[in-house]
Amino acid sequence: MTQTAKAAKKTTSAKASAPREAKAKAPAEEQAVVTEVKKPAAKKKSALAFPFTSIVGQEEMKLSLILNIIDPRIGGVLVMGHRGTGKSTTVRALAEVLPFIDRVKGDIYNRTVEQYIEMESSSRGAGVIKESDVKTEKIPVPVVDLPLGATEDRVCGTIDIEKALTSGVKAFEPGLLAQSNRGFLYIDEVNLLDDHLVDVLLDVAASGKNVVEREGISIRHPARFVLVGSGNPEEGELRPQLLDRFGLHARIITINDVAKRVQIVKLRREYDEDPEAFMKKVTREQQKLQKKIVAAQILLPQVTMDDAVLTDIARLCMNLGIDGHRGELTITRTAHAYAAWEGETTVTMKHVREIAGLCLRHRLRKDPLETVDAGEKIDRELGKVLGEAEAVA
Amino acid sequence: MIAFTDIVGMDLAKQALMLLAVDPSLGGVVIPSTVGSGKSTLARAFADILPEGTPFVDLPLNVTEDRLIGGVDLEATLASGLRVVQHGVLSKAHKGVLYVDSLSLLDSSAVSHIMDAMSRRAVIVEREGLSEVHPADFMLVGTYDPSDGEVRMGLLDRIGIIVPFTPQNDYRARKKIVSLVMGIRNEEDTQDELRMLRGIIGAAREQLSHVSMTTEQIKGLIQTAISLGVEGNRVDIFTIRAAIANAALGQRTEVDDEDMKLAVKLVLVPRATRMPEREPNPEEMAQEEPPPPDEEQPEEEGEDENAPPDETDSDADEEQEDTPDMIEELMMDALETELPENILNISLASKKKAKSGSRGEALNNKRGRFVRSQPGEIKSGKVALIPTLISAAPWQTSRKAENEKKGLKSGALIISKDDVKIKRFRDKSGTLFIFMVDASGSMALNRMRQAKGAVASLLQNAYVHRDQVSLISFRGKQAQVLLPPSQSVDRAKRELDVLPTGGGTPLASALLTGWETAKQARTKGISQIMFVMITDGRGNIPLGAAYDPNMAKAAKEDLEREIEALALSIQADGIASIVVDTQMNYLSRGEAPKLAQKLGGRYFYLPNAKAEQIVEAALS
Repeated sequence: MTQTAKAAKKTTSAKASAPREAKAKAPAEEQAVVTEVKKPAAKKKSALAFPFTSIVGQEEMKLSLILNIIDPRIGGVLVMGHRGTGKSTTVRALAEVLPFIDRVKGDIYNRTVEQYIEMESSSRGAGVIKESDVKTEKIPVPVVDLPLGATEDRVCGTIDIEKALTSGVKAFEPGLLAQSNRGFLYIDEVNLLDDHLVDVLLDVAASGKNVVEREGISIRHPARFVLVGSGNPEEGELRPQLLDRFGLHARIITINDVAKRVQIVKLRREYDEDPEAFMKKVTREQQKLQKKIVAAQILLPQVTMDDAVLTDIARLCMNLGIDGHRGELTITRTAHAYAAWEGETTVTMKHVREIAGLCLRHRLRKDPLETVDAGEKIDRELGKVLGEAEAVA
Repeated sequence: MIAFTDIVGMDLAKQALMLLAVDPSLGGVVIPSTVGSGKSTLARAFADILPEGTPFVDLPLNVTEDRLIGGVDLEATLASGLRVVQHGVLSKAHKGVLYVDSLSLLDSSAVSHIMDAMSRRAVIVEREGLSEVHPADFMLVGTYDPSDGEVRMGLLDRIGIIVPFTPQNDYRARKKIVSLVMGIRNEEDTQDELRMLRGIIGAAREQLSHVSMTTEQIKGLIQTAISLGVEGNRVDIFTIRAAIANAALGQRTEVDDEDMKLAVKLVLVPRATRMPEREPNPEEMAQEEPPPPDEEQPEEEGEDENAPPDETDSDADEEQEDTPDMIEELMMDALETELPENILNISLASKKKAKSGSRGEALNNKRGRFVRSQPGEIKSGKVALIPTLISAAPWQTSRKAENEKKGLKSGALIISKDDVKIKRFRDKSGTLFIFMVDASGSMALNRMRQAKGAVASLLQNAYVHRDQVSLISFRGKQAQVLLPPSQSVDRAKRELDVLPTGGGTPLASALLTGWETAKQARTKGISQIMFVMITDGRGNIPLGAAYDPNMAKAAKEDLEREIEALALSIQADGIASIVVDTQMNYLSRGEAPKLAQKLGGRYFYLPNAKAEQIVEAALS
């Protein structure tokens, strides 16, 4: 179930909403602060997505996504590669295998009880809300689709036009950033996204907060999401600042193995013929994957790493001439998540080797005349670092 | 209005449309063809063979983003006080046909939205306070003239059928259409024929689920796709669907050789990036000869480390063991009849020379298209009136109340600074740099490496500034567009890496090709264009050489006249230029400075100029 699907009824059923606005005719001074936050209309279940476990090949992309579920602090993933290779199919399939999270019941920002109390206390005063009064519910980790044509007001949130028109009340209508808090924000064709939306995203991704200031409206809400982007590099380049935001960079290419391609075609045709029957058939596998992800999440806090491994990681990044510390940080986090995924509690260079390319590929200095592939370069340096490490030992 | 059955010729295009009518999940049909060939007549007649009541939406080229996707219906919203949605063109085409004439001239943001809608079969509207999903499962039928530029590959990837471009056929068809227009047919016959055709298609739709295909056949099609270097896996499904739809049209229960040949012809061949080798022999595979000048580099090279072409071929060899020879043979036959000697002439990467149409000129004066509005200050741009009013409207009640409280008088409308929305134009984002790199024999002597270095750093800067780049090389008889305008530095870099050198210097051809590229770009809303010419300026091949070998030798004065005329026209067209002279000092006769002067551009002498200086000049 992708979370983008929304009931169209919002617009037409509004006739009934007039009486409910009666209480909104509050004195003007109270309106200076935003008094209401509109709840989004109930979401309609969208058409079934092709199941994650039936996607053949493209292991790099699948692993990147899974590692980001295990530890959202990895910072998202950018999937770039050939056309027609299942990039968006895979990301949209993710929703079905995501675990559940607890949130305050009906909360549009998907806040935890602690976040809720902290935020609300600052406006209503400390101690007013008690933990025992707050009800919670379980929801699947949200996956929010940000389409290229989205306008800034829908991304950040804006006033509720309808309410303002009918009653003159300033109510805040949260945008996609609110919905994506604690979930995934997916942008297909991310390299074609309008620059001013990129600016907004960079801002929010850096601070984890979305701030909306407009005549009388002043809203600040948490917006921490795992950013997932996909695209074809031939259609255009990604802005360097945005590129740097992505924790991992997965590459995807056309599968040229005939047997695998026959399998892809067969699965796809079977699915197209009867999606529901197909989903039923793979339910067990989907559940198994979900359980494995949850197990890794639980194991993650117990995973440890030797300082020696950290030294090797630092040396690798230094040898590759990577600026800043984001490279080391990402490798460290990703290696922890990978170890947990493998069911192990100690990070070794074996884990690092598997994920180093994903973490560093997009952080190498770009030299237009370079002919060596970034992945190869990383592998080579990794070999050197490992060689050195062995010699020291 | 000419009916579908009345159109003579263009048989392949007609067949393609029939397959689409049988199986709409083929996504669409694209028909590349020259002006006046009747392609748009045929596309419009497509409605004739679809079930009655199927929506047929004509997409205007100048469609705005909100019309395309949908948005708030201002009038109805203000009148009712409730948010009223206006569906966009894409959702109006749901369960029907979206028709685009001159597909290659469509604005790139519109193309992105169409691509997005096609992959979701829906339009997501997240605009102006709206958050909705509108179903948009449509067939895209597009026609275009390849001389107007090419259609974006990403879009083509979502469209099942691409009719091969065959100019001769079009000519014949045109003649026959003319005779039809003169009124030879009688209306009753036409209606009967159409009814019959609709019946056939209806029957084929029912037959569709009864057609089966063997695994061997599927393998054969996939192998063909691989050996043609077709990118992506999505195409496999289209190929299979096309073969099955054709079998269904023939009321067969099994796919046969003819069905497969047709599928290869309509789905795979137009996407080919390389010539398949009939019998790859090991010696050939080992050699590392540079590719022949006319052949395009396979796309995978340099990017696709896991599957270089050689490996692919050996894969295919292994697979042959369990695939009957028959299928392999069949595919090769289909290919041989379809692939002309030079694959570039039919592939969609076609870089055929052509004259810019009159349409291009008419649109030249446009300074970009109004795309959408965003908050801003009045001084910073043109105010978008309606969006400003929309954002002011909801506040009127509360503002009036506030004014009354303060004892102020209110006018009819109270607009505050926050309401103001500014128009955003698509082309404000950057410049198109057209790099023209002299790859003639004399350049090999000169400083090809340095030249490449200069281009590379310019590319790097263009990348940071979100500019577009295009790469043209000139050597031998004529110039060649290696990279049409694109934001992809990766591709430019790859093309540059493998740029072969040698042969004459067709400088005039380079200027002409650059100018044509510039004109095409202008029709797409790019107004700022800069030529960066890296050459010694010693043109020695006239324009005519590409068409007539006898013209290869021309008098020096004629050559100069040609270049001068072109250079002056380019300057008059408002295109800025930089000439980077690569000539060795002691050989120079001042050709490059002269060229710069005629173009009204700046001149740099490469050995002295630092790449940064050139970059600075280009960006200032």
